[in-house]
Amino acid sequence: MKNFSFAVWALVIESLIHAPMTSAQDMSFDLEETEEETPAETDENGFLGPDGDALEPGSDIIGDLALSDDELNARMDSEPRDTTTVEEEIYAVQQIFALRLNRLEVAPSFAFTLNDPYVRRRALGLGLNYWWSNVLAIGFNFLWYDLEGFQSESDLNFFVRRSARLAVPITEWQLGAHMNFTYVPLYGKFMAFNKWIFQWDAYVIGGVGFQRTRPIAIIDPEIRTFDYEMRLAFNVGIGLRIFLSRFLTVFAEFRDYLYLERFESLDVALGEARNDKSTWLADSSELVNNVTVQIGITLFFPFSFEYKLPK
Amino acid sequence: MNPARRILFSIVLLGMLSLGMTHASPLAAQEVQITGPLAGAPACRSCRIYRRGRISLTPMVGFSLRDEYNRSVFTGGSAEYHVLDWLGFGAFFMYSPVQLATSLTDEVESQGVTTDRNRLSLPSSDNFSDQIGSIDFIIAPQVLFIPLRGKLALFQRIFVDTDFYIHLGLSIVGLTERAHTEAGICDEATDACLASQSARSSRVTMNATFGAGIRLYINDFIAINAEWRGLPFAWNTSGTDESGSEDGDFPDGVIDSDDRISHFNQMVSLGVSIYLPSSAAVSN
Repeated sequence: MKNFSFAVWALVIESLIHAPMTSAQDMSFDLEETEEETPAETDENGFLGPDGDALEPGSDIIGDLALSDDELNARMDSEPRDTTTVEEEIYAVQQIFALRLNRLEVAPSFAFTLNDPYVRRRALGLGLNYWWSNVLAIGFNFLWYDLEGFQSESDLNFFVRRSARLAVPITEWQLGAHMNFTYVPLYGKFMAFNKWIFQWDAYVIGGVGFQRTRPIAIIDPEIRTFDYEMRLAFNVGIGLRIFLSRFLTVFAEFRDYLYLERFESLDVALGEARNDKSTWLADSSELVNNVTVQIGITLFFPFSFEYKLPK
Repeated sequence: MNPARRILFSIVLLGMLSLGMTHASPLAAQEVQITGPLAGAPACRSCRIYRRGRISLTPMVGFSLRDEYNRSVFTGGSAEYHVLDWLGFGAFFMYSPVQLATSLTDEVESQGVTTDRNRLSLPSSDNFSDQIGSIDFIIAPQVLFIPLRGKLALFQRIFVDTDFYIHLGLSIVGLTERAHTEAGICDEATDACLASQSARSSRVTMNATFGAGIRLYINDFIAINAEWRGLPFAWNTSGTDESGSEDGDFPDGVIDSDDRISHFNQMVSLGVSIYLPSSAAVSN
C-alpha cells in the first residue's frame, strides 16, 4: 500500500509540475493587442498536408522520415504549424521601468565601516525616503551599532601598542540618526549574457544628523569611564540600486559620516586630579571621517503605480 | 486511514492527476509566435561590439586603499585582447613612484616610545618611516570576464554605453620591507641596531588577484575605466617584530619572514581605454 501511495504521489507531483505550463498558453506580450490566429484545420491526428490541408489517411509518414535534412527543413518551412500568435509592439518613447514619484521607500540594511583600521564596526540600519519627484527624495537613516559582537578592536591596535608603545584612542558608537536628501543623476539598464535585462540607478546622498558615541578608556581604564554623548554629524555618499521588480530593489551604498570626536586624553593627571573627569578627555576635538558601506533591500510603497502619460 | 477514506483519497488524487494531464497535453504541440516589429529580436539589436576582436590599451593612475602605514600611488596601465565580447586576456602593470606615509606613521614618529622591550621593533621613533614596507610594482596576467553591458543616462541627458567586468589573474608584486636582522642586534642601543632600522630588502611575491570595474564608452574607441583590485598576500608592513615561529614564541628577537602578516591589500585605479582598431562592429 505504501508503494501504491508513493506512485500516486509521484504522478500527482508530475502532473502538477506540468499543469502550470497551461498558463503559458495564455501568455500575452501586450494586454490589449493580442490577436489569436485561428489554427488551420488538421486531420484526426493533428497533421497537415503540404498546402495546409488535412492529410489523407495512410499518408507516407515512413517516407517522410527518410527525407534528407534539407528536404525536411524545406518541408517544415512550407508547412503551417499549430501556433498562438501575439503581436509585440514598440513605442516611440519607452516608459521608465519604475517610477519613484510620490512613493515611500523603506530600506532595511546591514552596515559596516570601511576605513577605520582600529575598530571594526557593524550596524543594522533602516532608511525611509519619500520621493517628491522621480529623482529627488528626502529621508531619514537610522543605524544601531550597540549590538553584541558588532564592534571589535582590530589586531593593528594591539600591534601598535606592543611595538611602538603608542596607544591609539578609540571610541564606541551606539547609534547614528541622519536626515538626508537623495538625488538620482544616473540610471540605466544592463544586459547580462546578451539575454537578461535589469534596471538600475545610481544616486548621491547627503544630509545632517547626529552620532551617539563615547571614548573607550585605554589609557587609564582603571579610573576612567565615559558616557555616550551626541555629536553633530554630516554625511555624504553614493549608492547603487538594482530593481528586482517595480517595488523591490537591492542596494549598496558608500556613505561618509563626518563628525567631531573628542577622544580620551593621552595624559594621566597625578594625584587627586586623576579622578577629575575634566582631565579625562583630550583638549581638542578631531574630525572623524568614517566611510560606511550599507547593503540592503528597499521596498517602495505603494507597490503599484500609474504612469501619467499613456504608452 | 480506513478503507472508505483511502478510496475517496485515491479518487481525489486521480482526479487531480487526470486534470493536470488533460491540461498539459495540448501544450506540447503549442508554439507561441511573436509578430510585429520585435518578432524574433534579440535582447539588444544593432549593438556595438566594443570588445570582440579588439585590443584595448588603458593608461591608468591609482592608489592603494586601507593602508596601515604607507599609501602607494601608482601609475601604469593594462593591455588586453578580447577574443569575445565577454571574454578577454591581458596584463595589468602598475609602478609606484610615490609613497605617502599615513597618519599612523606620523603618530608613531612623534609619539612612539622605545624601551628595552621593543628596541628591535622601534630602534628610533624618529626614523620609523624608514622601516615601513611599501609596494613597488604589480604585474598581473589576467582574464577578463564581461557579464554585463548596457547603457546609462547621466542627468537624464547624456547616454553612454557601459560594461561591467570582473578580472582574475596572477599577481606578481614587488615589495620593499625592512631587511632581516640578526639575533640580539638590538639587545643594546647600538649603532648597528639603529642601522638595521633603515636596512631594506626587496622581494617578489606571487599570489592571486581579482577585482571588478566598469567602462563608460565615450565613442567607438575611447572609454573611461574605473577599477577595484584585491591583492591578498602576507608582508611585514610595519618592519616590526610581530611573531616568531608557529608556536608563538614572540618576541623571537629577529625580524624575518615569520613577521609577515596576511593582509587583504586593495587598490583603485582610473584610466582611459583606447580600443584598436578604432571602429567597432555592429551586431545584427
